[in-house]
Amino acid sequence: MARAKPLAHPHESVINRWQRGVAVYEAPVLTPWFVVFLAMFVAGTVIAAFRLLGGSLAPFAAMTDAYAWGVWKTFNVMALTALGSGALAVGLASWVLGRHHLHTVMRTALVTSFLFYATGLLGLLTDVGRPWNFWNMLLPWRWNTESALWEVAFAMPVYCAAFLLYENGPMVVERLWHARSDRVRGWVRTWHPRIRKTYPFVVAGAYVAPIIHQSSLGALMVLAGHKVHPLWQTDLLPLLYLVQALVCGFGAVIVVLMTSCLVWRRPLDVKVLGELADLMSWTTLAWLALRLGDVVVRGRLGDAFALDAFSLLFLAETAVIATPALLLRSPRLRAVPRALYASALLACLGGLAYRFIPTTLAYAPGKGSTYFPSVPELVITLGLVATVVGAFSLVVKRFAVLPAPLES
Amino acid sequence: MSLLSRRRLLRTVGTGLSTAAVGGAAAVAAAPAAAAAPREAPADAVGMLYDATKCIGCKACVAECTKVNDLAPDTELSGGLWQMPADLNPQTKNVIKLYADEATGRTSFVKRQCMHCVDPACVSGCPFNALAKGPQGIVGWDGERCIGCRYCEVSCPFEIPKFEWKQFNPRIVKCELCRHVLARDGQPGCTRVCPTGAVVFGRRDLLLADAKARIATSPGVYHQDRVYGEKEAGGTQVLYLSHVPFEKLGLPTLSERAIPAGTRHGGVLVKFVAFPVVLYGVFLRFFRRNWKVHEAEVARVKAEQGLEEQL
Repeated sequence: MARAKPLAHPHESVINRWQRGVAVYEAPVLTPWFVVFLAMFVAGTVIAAFRLLGGSLAPFAAMTDAYAWGVWKTFNVMALTALGSGALAVGLASWVLGRHHLHTVMRTALVTSFLFYATGLLGLLTDVGRPWNFWNMLLPWRWNTESALWEVAFAMPVYCAAFLLYENGPMVVERLWHARSDRVRGWVRTWHPRIRKTYPFVVAGAYVAPIIHQSSLGALMVLAGHKVHPLWQTDLLPLLYLVQALVCGFGAVIVVLMTSCLVWRRPLDVKVLGELADLMSWTTLAWLALRLGDVVVRGRLGDAFALDAFSLLFLAETAVIATPALLLRSPRLRAVPRALYASALLACLGGLAYRFIPTTLAYAPGKGSTYFPSVPELVITLGLVATVVGAFSLVVKRFAVLPAPLES
Repeated sequence: MSLLSRRRLLRTVGTGLSTAAVGGAAAVAAAPAAAAAPREAPADAVGMLYDATKCIGCKACVAECTKVNDLAPDTELSGGLWQMPADLNPQTKNVIKLYADEATGRTSFVKRQCMHCVDPACVSGCPFNALAKGPQGIVGWDGERCIGCRYCEVSCPFEIPKFEWKQFNPRIVKCELCRHVLARDGQPGCTRVCPTGAVVFGRRDLLLADAKARIATSPGVYHQDRVYGEKEAGGTQVLYLSHVPFEKLGLPTLSERAIPAGTRHGGVLVKFVAFPVVLYGVFLRFFRRNWKVHEAEVARVKAEQGLEEQL
């Protein structure tokens, strides 16, 4: 809190170089890359439609009874929603901890988060074998509130469809104003004050929901017990998944912002990016303390340095996560865009690896069974990722998302 | 720090603490659920006792299981000639497998099916209670509630539940102790047809006593002179005796802690009421404080630059 204090004075400006969201008007929507993403989206959608309407999972997925969860769940839901935790991470930093400089990047975080969550949910829908039974969600007496998966299936759609849409609402409402229709403007005049009035009350809840379900994602693998390698299996998985989500949230926002600035030739705000990187670095260090402390307390340090396949995997994963955190402790490096970008990218990769490994590489159910995603599984998974990228590039060209300086 | 901001800080901390106190009280109220003692099998829990030393590998139980449960016999390995399941699969709820140690020439059969855990991981993880412990502790499956998420397959330490990957209306297939015929036959198909009494059906406590009596009568015959399933993963309702190490029969070495115990951080009140309410209270407190800074900034920017707020 001490750092937020100098800005807390109402007469001091908290405006930074990046000042407002400005749509990328100058760039055309239909670019070769957009066509590629669109094609990947269509391919994924067509296969997903065949899988859902055609019935059984077998011809589409390489999953087996031993490896019953494939990449749709383990990557799109359990790993990628960490990248979709930017709204949580940046929201907590700006609105709760009072890092007011970060308000300008909130919209970028919100759009990114919505897209990662929405595609994750589509992945989940494609994955379940009896999706028609989701109507059980309407019958509270059938809920198993003890189940981490129930919690995920309940809270993720609510978070995505209610909280994230609400938080993205002002951006849409603001855009409607420019439709220049009196009827629409009347509607905006009614609704904008309503959103403003309820904003703190709703958005405070928007930070509670992901804290619960991001930790539930970690709790999922606790139930897999001895099937998950002891270097990863711990009762602390919920907390580790949650903190890693914050790391990936900050990291993803940095990567998305810098990539956007690079692609659409926008000026960077190194101060804001540096602040994000600073927070990401501290969060990672806290995570590392938890992670390594847990390994030591559980007496698994020997496994960590046994130099077998799992030990090497653990060491590599830890190195990929620790390197950017340590590099970014240097204020000088935080001001170098190239170093910032590489570090954030590495942090995201490390975070994804940590959240992916316990479900797949370090998950060894039966001897002799292996799993590698089938082509249709990969097409759908990559299609969902392409949907995030393509939809993001579309949204930022039509809505005031990406931050820009005022001089333009 | 000015007086005003100190007062504000105190108020913030005060509100935070009082919210925490309310939440904490709720948490304490719900604490019995949180610090739950290990779950016990119901008094009338039924199960099976399989004694590997008595099994002759005739597979009568496998054939009968298929018949009683109306499953299509798995004839794939035999080229369509006779039932020959390699392992449990979506057509096979019960299987006999052979363990043979080539070095010592020691062999043993093993019968595998659902263990009907006392505190099953599959039941704990099942989102809509499609898998649930029913009367007499039998773990049964309800197709109306199952969304086909296959979390049961991920969580089962014995890798018992199987999913009908090839079906349009896929079911979770696993032994349900023939609960649909228990009232009529008094026991499941497999125990009814077993010619040597290698597998018997009964109340869990009686089976456990029986197993211990067998160990007492012939000391040194059974592996570690103990019953597998008495304590494994919090106990199972199907118990095993074996002359070879249990892990050789594919029965994993498990701790005595029930697997779901590691996921029970408080009951529903703590998880979905007290904890979120406390968090919400704290977040809202700080949020509203920063909202005021934001509003002042919005007013200033509008006055100086004529620009509207962007939320």
